This record gives sequence, structure tokens and C-alpha cells, in this order.
Amino acid sequence: MPRRIASTTRAACFWVVLLSLFIMPAVYAKSVEPAGELMIHNFDPETGKRIIPNERCLTCHGDEKEKSDVRDDGSPVKIFVHSEQIEASVHGEQSCTSCHVTIDRVPHREAPKVVVGCIECHKETWDQHKDDPDGKHERLKVVNEQIDNFMDSVHAQPNKLDQSRTNATCYDCHEAHNVGELGSIQRAEKRLKNPEVCGRCHEKELEEYRTSDHGKAVLEKGDSESAICSDCHTTHEIASPETDKAKLAITKNCGDCHEDAQRTYFDSYHGQVHRLGYTNTAKCHDCHGGHEVKSADDPTSEIHANNRLENCRNCHTEANDNFLSFWPHSDADDRENYPTMWFAKRFMQALIFGVMAFFWVHVLLWLYREVMDRFQGKGFIEDLNHPDVVYFRRFPAVWRWIHGLFAISTMTLILTGTTLLFSHTDWAKTVVIFLGGVEMEGIIHRTAAVIWLGIFLSHLVIAICNIWCKRDKFEWFGSTSMLPNMKDLRDLRDMFKWFLGRGERPQFSHWTYWQKFDYWAPFWGAAVIGSSGILLFMPEKTALVLPGWMFNIATLIHAEEALLAAIFLNSVHFFNVHFRPERFPMSTTIFTGAIPIEEFKHDHRLEYERLVAAGELEDHLVKRPSRRADLAASFITSVLIMAGLALLTLVLIGLMTTPS
Amino acid sequence: MQRDDTMKKKVRNLFLAVLALLPASVLAGPSGEALSFTCAGCHGTDGSSVGPSMPAIAGMDPEVFVDAMKAYRNDQRNATIMNRIAKAYSDEQFKEMAWFFASQKLHLFPQAHDVALAERGFKLHEKHCEKCHENGGRPGDAGTLAGQWMPYLEYTMDDFLNGKRKWPRKMQRKVDAAIADEGQDALPALIHYYGSQQ
Amino acid sequence: MTDINRRTFIRAAGGVAALGATLGFPSLALGATRRVVVIGGGVGGATAAKYIRKLDASIAVTLIETKPSYTSCFMSNEVLSGERTLESLTFGYDGLRRYGVEVIRDTAVGIDPEKKSVKTAGGHSFDYDACVVSPGIGFKWETIEGYDEEVAAETVPHAWNAGPQTTLLRRQLEAMPEGGHVIIAAPPNPFKCPPGPYERASQIAMYCKHHKPRAKITILDPKDAFSKQGLYIEGWTKLYGYGTDNSMIEWVGAAGGGTIEELDPTTLTIQAEIEEFQGDVVNIIPPQKAGPIAFAADLVDGDWCPVDKRTFESQRHKDIYVLGDASSAAKMPKSAYAANSQAKVCAAAIIARFNGLEPGDPTFVNTCYSVVGEDFGISVAAVYGLNSHTNTIQPIPNSGGVSPANASPEIRKREVSYAHSWFKNVINDMLE
Repeated sequence: MPRRIASTTRAACFWVVLLSLFIMPAVYAKSVEPAGELMIHNFDPETGKRIIPNERCLTCHGDEKEKSDVRDDGSPVKIFVHSEQIEASVHGEQSCTSCHVTIDRVPHREAPKVVVGCIECHKETWDQHKDDPDGKHERLKVVNEQIDNFMDSVHAQPNKLDQSRTNATCYDCHEAHNVGELGSIQRAEKRLKNPEVCGRCHEKELEEYRTSDHGKAVLEKGDSESAICSDCHTTHEIASPETDKAKLAITKNCGDCHEDAQRTYFDSYHGQVHRLGYTNTAKCHDCHGGHEVKSADDPTSEIHANNRLENCRNCHTEANDNFLSFWPHSDADDRENYPTMWFAKRFMQALIFGVMAFFWVHVLLWLYREVMDRFQGKGFIEDLNHPDVVYFRRFPAVWRWIHGLFAISTMTLILTGTTLLFSHTDWAKTVVIFLGGVEMEGIIHRTAAVIWLGIFLSHLVIAICNIWCKRDKFEWFGSTSMLPNMKDLRDLRDMFKWFLGRGERPQFSHWTYWQKFDYWAPFWGAAVIGSSGILLFMPEKTALVLPGWMFNIATLIHAEEALLAAIFLNSVHFFNVHFRPERFPMSTTIFTGAIPIEEFKHDHRLEYERLVAAGELEDHLVKRPSRRADLAASFITSVLIMAGLALLTLVLIGLMTTPS
Repeated sequence: MQRDDTMKKKVRNLFLAVLALLPASVLAGPSGEALSFTCAGCHGTDGSSVGPSMPAIAGMDPEVFVDAMKAYRNDQRNATIMNRIAKAYSDEQFKEMAWFFASQKLHLFPQAHDVALAERGFKLHEKHCEKCHENGGRPGDAGTLAGQWMPYLEYTMDDFLNGKRKWPRKMQRKVDAAIADEGQDALPALIHYYGSQQ
Repeated sequence: MTDINRRTFIRAAGGVAALGATLGFPSLALGATRRVVVIGGGVGGATAAKYIRKLDASIAVTLIETKPSYTSCFMSNEVLSGERTLESLTFGYDGLRRYGVEVIRDTAVGIDPEKKSVKTAGGHSFDYDACVVSPGIGFKWETIEGYDEEVAAETVPHAWNAGPQTTLLRRQLEAMPEGGHVIIAAPPNPFKCPPGPYERASQIAMYCKHHKPRAKITILDPKDAFSKQGLYIEGWTKLYGYGTDNSMIEWVGAAGGGTIEELDPTTLTIQAEIEEFQGDVVNIIPPQKAGPIAFAADLVDGDWCPVDKRTFESQRHKDIYVLGDASSAAKMPKSAYAANSQAKVCAAAIIARFNGLEPGDPTFVNTCYSVVGEDFGISVAAVYGLNSHTNTIQPIPNSGGVSPANASPEIRKREVSYAHSWFKNVINDMLE
């Protein structure tokens, strides 16, 4: 230091001598007035703020020879910006200081804080120009939507280690000096750069991504079509990967490219639950891996045959080898690859179609006939002025209870089951939320299933006991037996004749053929739904004895058969019992246990005559049910009918809106 | 010129509106012009000094002006007399004077200089100084160097080198580099370069 | 930009705009050219003439001055030391003419405040809408027996208005024998250029130090203190052995009998209050009063002219403004810078009045440099505002003052350089 002072002092002496020779009485010298504007014109007259032209900034920041500088603390800092890039970017017409708002002096008096407020400017500019006819600022609408998304994202949250900043902000990702217009080269390059940009903070994830098929395509082959970070994580709506929001978004975004995989996934139990908005079942990245996703051929892939079981065991901790034959993406419409599924689905659909077609024709014709009879003053018309006072005892209390519980548990099963089957619908999501989430729903479904099966079995026991007690005189094909007989076939034929006006309405015994069908149908249902349900109830136990693809089959037929039951019960059964004009609006017999004697005579004339002839009628006659019992039965029946119709509506909505 | 006129009109209208609205007390105190007129005895009429030790302040950057005056007032800048004078003014008055001088044209006066030395100074300036003192040191946010009085520049550089005035950011590095390039001639060369400009 | 806010900007820009307004309004509104007559081409008069034209070129300004050119008193002590010539202090009025000021060489002898007209010795009369009187000082010869204008011109110069007497005093110093005795009699307050007598002593000492090192300088002073006293004594001590037996300069204050009563011009003997002083060169600076025209025009109250400090309008006659040394403008000193500062306040006030506006609040500055010796400059500075209730000009508190005591040689040296630049700028601001 002293050396320099000495040298400068010498220098000063040297030129002071020089100067003293030159300096002339300036008073007399002619002055020179430099051209150019007044200093005051470098300031905005409205705000008094300094106007700093971009060229002034680029004097230092655009100097290719000195692209870096040192900070006050001696650390190096890059200061170079590409002026050509800026000019070509969407911000090309902006002045540096309109974004770098803290810069009010050039040269900077103190180390400038890089504070850039993107949001307010984009919002204000959009507010100003949104009604412009030229549409020049149209893109700002999207920008503002993305701003809103960003503000809700995890990136806009305060950083956990340093609350003075957010996790990430606009210019961490956007190279603001190089934001290209739609379709520009910058934007194409931006896709390829995206992993590196995210990787600046998410270093581990980037390393994983590099090894993935996506990463290799993008980073090594320059394929901008392959998935980059923002394709899965979105650009602005980014949530912590621990959140349901992120998990749902990522799975959804996988499907943007892998459409078939997503469709078949949503057909599976995993996918159905996921589509309801819950993330506790397997998602794409649970099986395929997230950042390191690779094809099944790759031995390091999570879905490689050698790794797959371990993968399943992440959730199904006791999974055995049989799990490996489960088809996570089975497609029942793909006959080539999944013939079993294909066949099962065709069979079930044929069954549904056949049953429903037959009975709906039966319903329609019956309706037609009764309506026609009414017009002609025929048929059974209740005399409301002189209601029956004598009733026929048709159901003992135990059967009434069993039917009631059976109805409630069936409806519960339909409601909870179809939410999965129709997980794409809004109602399903609402119902699940109402029920307390998908796990609670599972509990309800399984509980209802146990009750349902329990009732079914109890009924069998009671029925067998009854038969056993009457074993001496029980006629297997007698009038009170549920077993179908030849008369049922003849009745069916005669009914159709009657429907078509070619004969009289047949006379029925104690049970009509449609009642017998309603009775026997659950036997088939219980077998199919019950057994498939039990398989699915405890997959790890099932897999001890059955191959994994049985889950696929079970899922399929459980759903299809349930669908058949749901539609049949809530349409055909309701019509036969409640809605045909003779009974409309409802029959409460199943809850009162008693049927008006006139009605009994009309529907079961053969039995009536048989009982009269045998002198046993009196044994079965009861008083008209009390007013209270009648009201209660009407209420319960109404509720169940309405619930059933509601379920039918939901099922039909679901069927009609099922994505193809 | 058109733009100038409309701007002046706009500013005048604004001024008249403000005058009409504000109670007299708000505008009490000497005007910026009156305050600035008192400087002329030392800094020349409207700030174009003719005395070689007194810097020209006409056309000066207003923020540089305010910075300088505040520094003088706070005894943070080596002074002979300005520290005593600056203590008489408020921040607001500094600003008003700053705007007055920013609104003046700077009249420069020829100064005797060594042409060869000035040429060397020009090269040093281009290499080390131009980025902050742009356009050869024309008035700006880094002060006024071009055409500034050479003895004043000498005093200023002496103050910097002798630690009597705080270096602006990065300036010391640049001056050191210039001295490394040209040795003891560096500062005289630069000062002759600035003095040579008109 | 955080510091310069919008209101300041508007005020600043508005000042420019208001200026623009004054350029347009007067002739339109009143239909006649306004006339200002300025009496006296010193700092006050010249500055006022220039600034009136600068601020409003529609006003006709006539300057009446006896002398063909202006010779500055400030820096004229450097003539005594031989540092500069009287010519270097002399300037013409062409600069003012370039501003459109009509410069008349004549002597104003009376002002008719009723007719608003100035009469000159040349027999002319000049009508005015506003008259600026800046006559400088006159001397109270009657206070010192044996001293009059004639003696001053020939043997005992006061040299207090730069001119032939300055040259005479310089010649006397040159002719003085080695070991000679110089007496400077300082005047009582108030007087023009309060540090002047002491700078004069310093400059003479500087001359003697090189050419007559055994010479003595005695300052006879009717005061017990004087301007920049501490700094002068510091400089004298450092440069001229003050305080030692060999001191070149001796100061005799009032208590020491520095008040003079009588001069014997033949023997160059001064009778002071206590003792007699005999010198080889005697310089008496007599007590002062306003210049003659101030008395002729009935502008004085006592020795000086009372004025309204906001405008410098005479408190005795309307539309007559008195500037500079002649006005009683305490607490401003009678200095060039003060006159320059007052002239601009007065110019703006006259223009405001012409436009029917209230004159704005005035602000004043005084800066005054003294060169005590080689590389030893000192200064005093003050910024003043108006207390309109008491009609007094008062320094802004906690500002101004003299150069620091015991400052570094570098600072003292710079102040010499600044003194010379200051001189150029004051001259420039009044005449160019």
C-alpha cells in the first residue's frame, strides 16, 4: 500500500507541474455546450424514477469477454446474459428493470438482490389486455392459470429450512431471458432441458431418471416425445409426491401416453380404487418404479420376472409365487392374450343379456295385458270402499325377517360394490366419501357380505328343518313346495298366451313360477358372487391354492353377476311384486306376512280352492293387520323400493357412462 | 421537440394543480431554484463551474448529487467546506437542488492537456472505466468525468488513494488494474483524457 | 429510485414551468415592457442585472455605473503581496451586455421615488418600475482627525475599494526599507469584508517574508475580536512567528488601545487610544457607511439602508431595492458572496412582483476564502434563511462555520486553490 501512495504522489507531482503550465484563465475561454438531452430526461416525469435502458445493463451483462465477475465477498458470479436470446424471447420488448425491479442504480451501489416479481406483472398485463381484440396477449391467460396452479403447489410453499424463500420460484425453472413463444425452437429445447432444470434441485431423482427408458430417450437420444418430469409431475400443479394429489396426478399423466395400460389398470381392483381418488392400492409407479421405470426385459426393472414378486410383497406381504400369474393389466376384450377372461366375460354377458331380455319382455307384455284388461273393466280390481277384513297368512315372522335383512344387505352390497365398478362416476366418488373412504367401504361391503351369506345359510337350515319336521307328509312337488314342476312351465306358456290375448290368465298354486325364480336365483347368485367374493376377500390365502389369474376371473364374474342381480331385483322383481297395475304401488305382504283374501284368491286360486276343499282355509285366515303394522310395513317397503330404484338409477348411470 | 413540449406542459399542469390543492404551508421554504442559485458563487452559474478546483455540477445525475450531499452532511466524504454547507439542508432540499442541476445543460470549458497522455488515458478508460463511467465519462449515475475540471479530479483521486474517501464498489480493483497497466502515469493519463473532452 | 420522489420532481419541474410562465405573461398581461434600473455595477448590481434578464428576458434592465470596468476588492490583497496584478481583477461589462443589460457609464445622483425616476450626473433620467441600488460603501472621514480623501489618495491609502490606492499601497510596500514598519488600522464593525484587514496583514507578511524578512506589521483594531481570528492566529503562528518575540505581525485590539483617533500624515504617526504608532507604510481603513447615492436618495437610517429581508426592498421607499454592503442585512456579512446571493433573491422577488405573485421564501449563502499565506487558505461559510417575523436573516442552525482548526496541510493547500476558483466563479456569476 505505501508503495502505491508513493508512486501516485510522484505521478501527481509530475502532472501538477504540467497542469500549472497549461491552466489558463477559464473565465475568458469560450464554453462548449455538449449536445444531447438534459439529465432530467433520464427520469420518468410521472414517477421520478430513473429510466435505465437495456443497453446500459448490457454494457456489463452483455460483454462476451467478461462473462463473470466477483462478488463483494470475492466469490465468482456469472453475470452474462444473451441479449439476442432476450430479444427473441416473449419478453423481448421488456426493459430489464421492469422485471429486475430492485435495480435503480447503474452501476449498482451495493450487491443487487435478484428480486424478480413475475406474478404481478403477468396478472396486471392480462387484466389490461384480456379484452384486446387482437388476441396478442391470449397466451397470458394460460400463464395466469399456471400462476394460480403454482401458487397452490408445493413449490410455492415456504422452504422448510429457510422460510424466507419458497421451495422454488418462477425463475428457478424458467430461463426468463429465453422464454420462447409457442412453437418456437426455445420451447422444443425446453422439453429436452426439463429434466436437467428439475435436477438442479432434485439431484437424486435426476440420477434415477437417467437410467430409465424415459431418461435414456430424452437425455441420450434427444427424443422430446418421451416423458420428461413435467409430463408426470405437471408443470405447475406440483405437489409433494407423498400427497394423494401428486400420486393421482402422476398416475393420470402416465395414461396420457400409455392409454391401454391405463384403461386396463382402471378395470382392475387396483385401478378402480385409485380412480375413486384413493391411493392405497397399487399405482403405476408402485409396480413400474417412478423415475427408474424400465421395460420388463431389463433385469433391473421392477417388473422384470425376477423382481416382480418382491414388488407385489410391498403391499401383499405374504404374497407367494401364485401372485405372479395375476394379470395386472388383463383385458377381457383381448381374446388373444386373455382367452379365459374373454370367455368369462362373454358368458356373463350372455347370461345377463338372456335373463334380462326374457324378463323384461315378460314385464312389458304383462304390463300391456293388465293395462288392456283395465281398459276393458276386467282383471283384479280392489274394492276400496269395502276393504278386505279377512287376510290369508302367507309368511311367518321368520321369513319376513329374513327377507328384510336380505334386502338391506343386498342393497348395501350393491351400493358399495358398484362404486368400484363405476369408479369413473361422480356419484361413486361422492358415495365413497359419504361412507368414510374406500377402506371403510370395504369393511361395510365385507360385513354386508357376511350377513348376506349368513342369512342365506340360516334360511337353508330353517327350510331343511321345516321339511324335516313335515317329512311325513311333505310333498316334494306339492302345492306349497318351492321346487319347480311341469305346471310352472305350463303356467309360463299360458301367461304368454294371456299376455297376447290368446287365452285366460292361468290359475296359480301357492307359489307362482316367477316367485319360484326369484327364490332360486339367489342360490345361483350366492354360489357365484359368494365364491368369487370369498376368493377376493383374502387374496393371500386364496393364492395358497389358486393361481393369480383367478383374481382376474373372480373380479370379473363377481362384478357381472352382481350387476345382473342389481338390475334384476330392482326392476323385474319390483315389477312382479309391486309395480304391476294389480299391485301398484306396492305389496306389503312380505312385511305384514298377510295377503287380503281376495287378492289371494285372485293370484293363488288353485291353492285357495285346495284349502277350501280340504277344509284347511280357516287355519290360515287372520285378521286384517293392525293399522300400525300396515303403516310400518308400507313405510319399510317404500323405503326399500325407493332405495332399490335409486340403486338401479345409479347402476344405469354407471353403465351408460362407462368409458369404452 | 414535440415530446419535450408536451412533457413540459404536462408537468406544468400537474404543478399548477398541485399548487391549487396544497395549502401554502406545504410549499413553504425556498424553491429548488432559489436554493440552487446560492451555489453559483462557487460552482458557476447554474452549476457550470469556471473555477478549476470546483467541480461542474450542471447536468449532474440527481441521485449522485443527493448521495454526495448526504455524504458531506454526514461527514462521510472528505471536504474542506461542503460538509459545513451541506448541514444546512434537508433531504427534500437536496432533492430539489438535484432536480434543478439535472435540468441544466453542462457548459464545459477547454482545458490545457497533454494530447499524448490523454490518448493513453483514453485506452485505460476504455479498458477499465467505461462500463461504469459510460460514454467516456459523460454525466450519469457514475458522476461526471468527461470535461470535468482536472484539479478537482486530482483531488478526488487523491482522496480515494489515500483512504479519505470510500471507494465505490469495484472501483478500487479497476484503478489498481489501471495502475498495473500504466504505472504512475495511469491516473494523470486518465485525468488528462477526461480533461481533454468537450 | 427511492430518494427522489414524485413531489420533489414536480416542484423542481414546476419551477422550470413557472419560469416559462413568467417569460410569457408580463407583456401579454400588462402590455408594456417592465423596466428595472440598477445603480452600481458591483457584485450586487451586476448579479441582479444579469439574473433579472436571465429569468425574464422581457424586462428591460439598465445598469448605471461610474467606472468603465469592474475591479474586484476580493482577492485584491493578493496584489499587495505581488501574487497578482490589479489587471487580473478587472473585468468589463460586455458579459452583461450579452445578457441584454443596457450598461450606462454615468453616476446616479438622485432617485425620485414618486416619479420613479433616476437622475444622473450626466443629466439623464431613467424611469423605472423597480430600482435596484447597490452602491457599496462610503467612508466616515470625520471619525479620524487628519485623515481625509486627499490624504488617502496620496499618502495613506485605505485601498478598501480596489483601484489606484491598491497599486499605491503596493508601491509603498515595495519602497519600504528592510525592517520597516507597516501599520494597518482596521475599522470598527460593521464594515465591508470582515476578514479583509487580517488577510491584508497576512498578504503583506507573505511579501515581507520573502523580501523584507525583518519588517513588522501592526494591526490597530478598535475591536476585541475579528473574523476567523483563531485560524488567522494559527496561520500567523505557523507562517510568521506570531506569538514569539520575532513575530512579524502584531495585533493590537481595543483593550490594548487599538482604537485610533488621529493621523499625522506628514510623519505617518497615528495617535491611538493609549499610545502613538509610527510606521513606514500606513494603511487606514476608515469606519464605513452606505455609498453616497443611498444618502442622496434618502434610503438610509443611520449609516446603512434598512430593507425588507424577503425582497431587499427599501423600508424607506417603495419599489427601490438596496443590495450588498449598503443594506443592513445582518446577520449576513458585507461580502461579495453575500451581495451575489442577495441579488438573486432580489431579482426573483422583483419578477414575482411584476407577475403579481408573492415573492418566495429567500435563501442565502455566504462563503468567503482568505489566503493567509503560501498554501494556507481558510474559509468561512454560512447558509441563511429568513425569520419573517423579526425580518432578520439567520444562519441555519448547526451548519456553516469556519475551516477546522489544525486541519491538515493538504486541506489548507486546497483551500487556496478553492479560493482562486471561487473568485473565478463569483466573477463569472455576476458578469458572464
